[in-house]
Amino acid sequence: MARSEQLLDDLAEGVARGEVPVGIFGDQEIYDRELRSIFGRCWVYLAHESEIEAKGDYVLRKIGEDNFIVVRDEQGEIHVLFDACRHRGVQVCRSDSGNTSHFRCPYHGWTYNTKGDLVGAPLWRNAFGGMPKEGNGLSKVARVRSYHGLVFATLDPTAPELEEYLGGMAWYLDLLFGLNEHGIEIIGAPQRFVIDANWKSGSDNFSGDDYHLGTLHRSVWEIGAFPVPFRENMMGYHIQASPGHSLSFSMAPTEDEPGPKFFGFPDDVAATFDTSRISEHQLDIARRSRVMVANVFPNFSILALPMTEDGAHHPPTGVMTIRTWQPHGVGQVEIWNWFCVYKNMTPEQKDRAYRAGLGTFSMGGAFEMDDTEPWITVSRTGRSVAADLLDFKLNYQMGMPGVGIAKEVPDWPGPGIAYWTRYEEGVQRNLYRFYADMMRAEPGSWPKLTFE
Amino acid sequence: MVGTGVRARAGSALYNEVVDWMDVEAELLDDYREREWLEGMVSRDVVYQVPLRQTVERARGTGFVPGTFHLDESYGSLQSRVARNETAYAWAEDPPSRIRHFVTNVKVTDLGGEQAGVRSNLLIYRTRQEQTQPQLLSGERRDVLRREDGVLRLLRREVLLDLTVIGTHNLSIFF
Repeated sequence: MARSEQLLDDLAEGVARGEVPVGIFGDQEIYDRELRSIFGRCWVYLAHESEIEAKGDYVLRKIGEDNFIVVRDEQGEIHVLFDACRHRGVQVCRSDSGNTSHFRCPYHGWTYNTKGDLVGAPLWRNAFGGMPKEGNGLSKVARVRSYHGLVFATLDPTAPELEEYLGGMAWYLDLLFGLNEHGIEIIGAPQRFVIDANWKSGSDNFSGDDYHLGTLHRSVWEIGAFPVPFRENMMGYHIQASPGHSLSFSMAPTEDEPGPKFFGFPDDVAATFDTSRISEHQLDIARRSRVMVANVFPNFSILALPMTEDGAHHPPTGVMTIRTWQPHGVGQVEIWNWFCVYKNMTPEQKDRAYRAGLGTFSMGGAFEMDDTEPWITVSRTGRSVAADLLDFKLNYQMGMPGVGIAKEVPDWPGPGIAYWTRYEEGVQRNLYRFYADMMRAEPGSWPKLTFE
Repeated sequence: MVGTGVRARAGSALYNEVVDWMDVEAELLDDYREREWLEGMVSRDVVYQVPLRQTVERARGTGFVPGTFHLDESYGSLQSRVARNETAYAWAEDPPSRIRHFVTNVKVTDLGGEQAGVRSNLLIYRTRQEQTQPQLLSGERRDVLRREDGVLRLLRREVLLDLTVIGTHNLSIFF
């Protein structure tokens, strides 16, 4: 049996017991399969519409390791085009972002419009006269959809619709991105950095690993960057929104808790949050939440929480970051990090949120600079022969029956399976259960997208 | 900022003082004496920025994205970073990576008003744990130093990195 098959069988069978074979973080064959079975099939996050507001605006983004142009055409429609000329496969988009009416291949000059259609090439009649241009445009993804301005694409024509794929997670995205009529926008361009770790460590962490804060991030309390003490911050809900998608809320046990509301966003911004687009339950969860951290399978993560980069001079304020964990070979991940603000915030509020975010959740931020440290050695252990020979399994048992204090919440008002207190790793088991299902699914068939 | 004043030639008193200042700064940072650097060499009014860069066509310039940074620091946030590295839980730098600042191509301009503009090339050579391949960060620093109570202090630093995708595991270091 191929090693990847064995690892996936071990994972599928072991995850119910809270056991994960570490080889999935370091095995080359597993990685090669992920590029096809996960990134070649799932809905992958690419860009926010606010990054390409004007006609002709484009950004260069990735699905798996491949470049795609995300561009708004002259009619305002968004296309996701494979960045490879149909003539010889040469890259046609040579900037990370910009505004253009066409993309011209530097090799022989094949030229495409912003819909990806071939519009010409030098001395066309001599070279290609008689050949139709139709069918020779840039390759497109199978489907593109936006949700709250978040642009996703899939390469798999058999993929379910985006909303069906998001399943229960859509309700929680609504709860954050649909809080007011304005929605969010991206500040600037994404920060990108490469570290020697496996992409799944990011998804795993943002599925709801709150327990690591007390050790790995202990320094942030010592410098006053985050207002909720570690033990209190462990109160809240862990939610398996639907297969693969998980999230976590930090929430006080009682509603009259004096701490931050609405992830720490300023009061006058919170005053614009209402139930026009979301339910009373959703608004109430957002109101009571100090932190929301979420991962949309496979590699799109979201975080909202009150932070400050300089506790002595600025109180914590609501920070929102979204990021992707781009696979970059089995032993590397390229982290893309964007900061978001609600559009109706004042320039001063946006600046404050940006600085607080930059000083905490970026590669130079007090939180994030420690995160990358352990992920590097997870990936090293994942490549380890000893781990294989010793049948070394990772322990994901927190919150299982008889382990710790977390309890399933019977009357949770939202979709999915919820646990009270965040001493719980079901959120990650949910990630790996669906991961194993996707990895083993036959082409054209999809694992179940609901828990029923 | 640099170039609007009078170029201080190599060998002039100001030039020598600035080069000496840069050598002392590099030594403090390489030796993990970050608090000494902050308190002794940095102005309370400092603006310390590492702007974010994208790949763009030549006609569009150098690709730095206005208002977007890897680091955008004030004295308070620098203080916070120094304090963090001093806690027992700053795993990112404990055990610390070995960092060496190579500063070359120093050009000094007397800006008047007790201020000097300095452009220099910077190469940071960083290794950690048992790594044999270094992480390299190269770029240009554009600084303004101001004489405060007789001592030159860093008032403005802009670090223009050559990379668009940063290849080091974090930016817990100082440029």
